[in-house]
Amino acid sequence: MASGKKFKVINPLLTLLLLGIAWELVIRVSNIPNYVLPPPSAILAAFGSYPWYLTYNLAETLTSALIGLAIAAAFSLTLSIPLAYSEAVRESVYPLITGFNAIPRAALVPLLALWFGLGAAPRVLTAFLIAFFPILVPTLTAMITMEKELWEMLQSFGASKGQILIKVAVPRAMPYFLSSLHMGLTSAFVGSVIAEMVASDRGLGYVILSSTSRLDTPLAFACLILLALTTFLISKVLSLVERRVVGWAYRVNI
Amino acid sequence: MEPAIRLCGITVRYGNGDGGLVAVADVDLDVMPGEVVSIVGKSGCGKTTLLKVIAGLVKPVRGELVLNGHKANTPHRGVGMLFQSPLLLPWRTVIKNILLPIEVLNGDVRSYLSRAYELIEKVGLKGFENSYPWELSGGMQQRVALCRALIHKPSTLLLDEPFSALDAITREEMWGLLQEIIEYERCTTVLVTHDVREAVLLSDRVVVISGRPGRVRSEVRVDFRRPRGLDIQYTKEFNDYVAMIKSLIGD
Repeated sequence: MASGKKFKVINPLLTLLLLGIAWELVIRVSNIPNYVLPPPSAILAAFGSYPWYLTYNLAETLTSALIGLAIAAAFSLTLSIPLAYSEAVRESVYPLITGFNAIPRAALVPLLALWFGLGAAPRVLTAFLIAFFPILVPTLTAMITMEKELWEMLQSFGASKGQILIKVAVPRAMPYFLSSLHMGLTSAFVGSVIAEMVASDRGLGYVILSSTSRLDTPLAFACLILLALTTFLISKVLSLVERRVVGWAYRVNI
Repeated sequence: MEPAIRLCGITVRYGNGDGGLVAVADVDLDVMPGEVVSIVGKSGCGKTTLLKVIAGLVKPVRGELVLNGHKANTPHRGVGMLFQSPLLLPWRTVIKNILLPIEVLNGDVRSYLSRAYELIEKVGLKGFENSYPWELSGGMQQRVALCRALIHKPSTLLLDEPFSALDAITREEMWGLLQEIIEYERCTTVLVTHDVREAVLLSDRVVVISGRPGRVRSEVRVDFRRPRGLDIQYTKEFNDYVAMIKSLIGD
């Protein structure tokens, strides 16, 4: 279809609009109070009442989540190289990482706050701690699952293990690494918001907590929508980066 | 004259103990410089294992590999290998794929550029230097892989069923091309194949391996002058060779 691309954008927006109208009608007909479930009109009104307050707190959350994500990405990529290089290193370190991943990271926030205070550090750290695992696992797996024939071909002209890793395994893992950033991104936001709820006086997590305690539910919903919208947009940007950097991996369905 | 490749009582075992499998047993084989030798046999007879022994990729439990008079048992830069699948790296262009061995061998990539272009022209891919592998057909990809196998001027070319994934027409084209390349590069060649016609057409000598464990059953010398035209396939002598080798494999 010639106008297929246009509909790709319009159709979901239309669906959203219809859902919003249905939501508004249900609330109005059933008389559910705003502090239990606010209608879209009340949420929009909240955006109008607190534009700067929301912007400021979104910036706080966004900054800590993105810094946490960046550290997680750098850490995972760096760590996956020695892990892929040596089975001995992998066997001694990987179980510990998996074990650490089994700790609910939200439970660490009070400790992080105890050590680093109520500033940005615990939020960034929580984002990092939640985000690194979903990035590390696919990246490492891609590095260590090279086809045997490819490995032998490289060895046949005398490539060392390190060279095979740098010249082939790492570039080969890049599409997996970049797509895992999507998972990391949502995880990092979860981390930041949790830390803001537990130990902070700013950020959208803090706003959600304080607004619900005042029964200002429309404001909490405004925060949720902002979070969803932000993550969605960053995810789109990541996809564009992926297509540019590792377009070769998407050659089948470009 | 000293053989380019000498296998002496080579025995290869995969796995240990009772679960282990003797893949090849007591194989002796000499390949003279510039000779083209094919190894044929049923699938699973250990012919690929023999090729990997020559490449230094598989260590024999017994026996010796001697290359140009020197003992060898680890991967060495004297060989170029071509596999059934081209194994090109999709993020590298044709020219960069071909130069990969030079990069890895810490060679001066620049000084090999002219050789890379020369090989590309030789295999008929001029103009595709900066294409990506996925933009090429299967036969073209295999030509690129052939250039990569040859870029570092190996004295020995090892081919592991290199054309079996190609269609019949492309395969015949590759037979012609390979003969030109072997003639031009003057390399000793060992070809593993299950296609007897391919073996007879391309080689000076066909070695028949019997399976489990792989042993040399017999050798057939093919007395046609190289390079050979594809028409030779329709002569009586050619088909006699094919029939004889097939019966040796089948026994």
